[in-house]
Amino acid sequence: MLKSYVGKNVCKVDAQDKVTGQALYPDDIYFEDMLYLKIKRATHPHAYLRRIDTGKAEKLTGVVKIITAADIPQVKNFGLIIKDQPVLVGVGQKMRYMGDALAIVIAESKEVASQAVKLIEVEVEELEVISDPLRAMEKDAPLIHQDSNVLATHYLKKGDIKKGFTQADIIAENEYRTSTLDHVPLQVEAGVGIYDKKSGVIKLWVATQWLHDTQADIAQSLGLSKEKIRIIQPVIGGAFGKKEDISVHLHLALAAMETKRPVKLTYSREESMIAQSKRHPFIIRMKTGVTNKGYLTACQVEVIGDTGAYASSGPAVVHKGMYHCTGPYNVDNVSGVAYTVYTNNTYCGAMRGFGTTQMAFAYESQMDILAHQLGINPVQFRLQNAYDIGSSTPNSQRLTHSVGVKETIKGAAVMAAWKEGSP
Amino acid sequence: MKKRGRGIATIMFGFGYGEGFPDHSIASAEIEEEGKILIRTAAADVGQGILTTISQISAEVLKVKPEAIQIIPGDTHLTKNSGSSSATRQTFFTGNAVKEASEGLLSNIYHYASIEFRSNHVELGIKGGYIFRKDNPNNQLSYWELAERVKARGDNLKAESSFFPHTDKPDPETGQGEKLYVAYTFVTQIIDLEVNTDTGIVEVLKVYTAADIGKAINPKNVEGQIEGGTVQGIGMALMEEQIIKEGITLNPDLTGYLIPTSMDTPHFITRLIENEDSEGPYGAKGIGEPATIATAPAIANAIYDAIGVRIYDLPITPEKILKALKEKVKFTSEGWLGL
Repeated sequence: MLKSYVGKNVCKVDAQDKVTGQALYPDDIYFEDMLYLKIKRATHPHAYLRRIDTGKAEKLTGVVKIITAADIPQVKNFGLIIKDQPVLVGVGQKMRYMGDALAIVIAESKEVASQAVKLIEVEVEELEVISDPLRAMEKDAPLIHQDSNVLATHYLKKGDIKKGFTQADIIAENEYRTSTLDHVPLQVEAGVGIYDKKSGVIKLWVATQWLHDTQADIAQSLGLSKEKIRIIQPVIGGAFGKKEDISVHLHLALAAMETKRPVKLTYSREESMIAQSKRHPFIIRMKTGVTNKGYLTACQVEVIGDTGAYASSGPAVVHKGMYHCTGPYNVDNVSGVAYTVYTNNTYCGAMRGFGTTQMAFAYESQMDILAHQLGINPVQFRLQNAYDIGSSTPNSQRLTHSVGVKETIKGAAVMAAWKEGSP
Repeated sequence: MKKRGRGIATIMFGFGYGEGFPDHSIASAEIEEEGKILIRTAAADVGQGILTTISQISAEVLKVKPEAIQIIPGDTHLTKNSGSSSATRQTFFTGNAVKEASEGLLSNIYHYASIEFRSNHVELGIKGGYIFRKDNPNNQLSYWELAERVKARGDNLKAESSFFPHTDKPDPETGQGEKLYVAYTFVTQIIDLEVNTDTGIVEVLKVYTAADIGKAINPKNVEGQIEGGTVQGIGMALMEEQIIKEGITLNPDLTGYLIPTSMDTPHFITRLIENEDSEGPYGAKGIGEPATIATAPAIANAIYDAIGVRIYDLPITPEKILKALKEKVKFTSEGWLGL
């Protein structure tokens, strides 16, 4: 039956508000009597905090309160998969990257809050900074957290990898590297919080990609029931994975409870880039085997994903990348290992493609290299190896329906008028 | 000198959290104030257009205009869990939950109308928010009038539904499992570009994309995702890198960290492969993440095609291209190639 609305180019429901400036993004929200927050960040990427002195900052006119870890002993760590990230680093504790928060300054204006942050005095005991995941994996490397710097190791084994390479006539073996990326959403981390004395509910207007999960993480960190945390989704100015993690939420909640006044916190772009999650840089070592006739026989991969100072989605990202190591091609023999590694870099989390974006750079470069070595047209090479219904993925998931990969190859080639013999 | 090249990349993406993680979405549909139908969902619209998608699906099921669909914007205290707007999952998960909730509401509209009209379900017709007996179309009730009557009976005209497909946890030693992800999206991109061998600057000219997305609920939105994702992929391929040395970010601003602008945006030619063969609403699959994945390798392959050098580390900056070209000339002049 013909459909009325599905498959039609219906105008986006939020388009008018956005183009006319009516849409309320978190930083647009304003309340009378509102206070402004600014976060004092780590002064060293890897160091023990030995002393923090907020005395001078507190004396500045317009500063209402400065919260340090000593004020919130009951507050617990947070994190999407592992609760390894502190709300505030306390004296005697470690800062693990430049985005770690040391204090929350609450002031009558943004300007005063920024000035006050500069007046906070900090003494640290510096440790070796680990910026390279390969160094982090060495036996003598200092531990960034309590346990190993290798946060997670995942494996992939399908078929017989030795046999696969024996069957191969040509083998390509290369190392690929991808860079640390920021999502660069137009809207940086921002929000407003209000504490309702009567109900004890903290209301937060903060963009999040997963309302109820963020609510749960805030609640467990503050030791409150979920009902006491109400998140109202403002209009979101882009996310791409960067708004899955906690950012301003807990600091807003603590400041709202402390002052009983509306509070606002908006990151600068610089703060957003330094403090909030990144796309994992990957080191990918890939070995791919193919017969003279151009059929893939084996794929072996080693992945090292630098997850930075905290886990975030890291343990899920790095191995999801590995699980996609063959791309949409039939390969009977697959073997892989993926390491998710802590360093003192900005922590990495979810970003569009979740590890598979990095992996595609490796497997599709390999396909191109092999096509050239074989002297086969790269379109033909992909077509003859691509999945069909009944194919099985590196995880041995049998594909039972909706496998249109060959149609995408043919479709793109037809559109681009890819001729036989052209690259 | 400017040299042209063409590269191809084909990718797959298993969407949803998968791997046995309890991935689900809850939605409800109810008759609201005159002329409106209220959908409750916590699905975050990050700009991808999920709220538009939801309104189209619900309007389709309930045979009303999309403008009649009102969606409660996310609020933990007014909506139930819809999972995250990530993992390319919202159209598939919340789309299905909204479709089922809307179907539940429609079933109840039929149920209560058949009581009001003293008829069988097959004798009832539905159009534009009205329900009527086919043998007497003038005798009709609007959904909202019907809702009033249902209320008078002490009941409510609403329905809640959820979508909660099963996936398997992979074996920890081997990563093997029967069903790791609910489904896969496939994309092929062919990219034409030009490399300036004097400056090392790459200009992406044309991007041909064919995407197997099952069914486009809103083709323009899907194209928008593909174009935006591709531009993000161009950034990853050619310019973006947060440089962190000894834990310190050296370029924490958009002066030092370059992203593509409209001037870097190529010409797009896109084809949507719609076999309507997935378990998503109307056969739809997700496109959010797959839209960005093929771009970087297609560009790397096109650069190789243009100038015969392969770069193994991203981003492929002008500096890396010039350095690689220099080394290639050295090898060639010393006769190392072709050995």
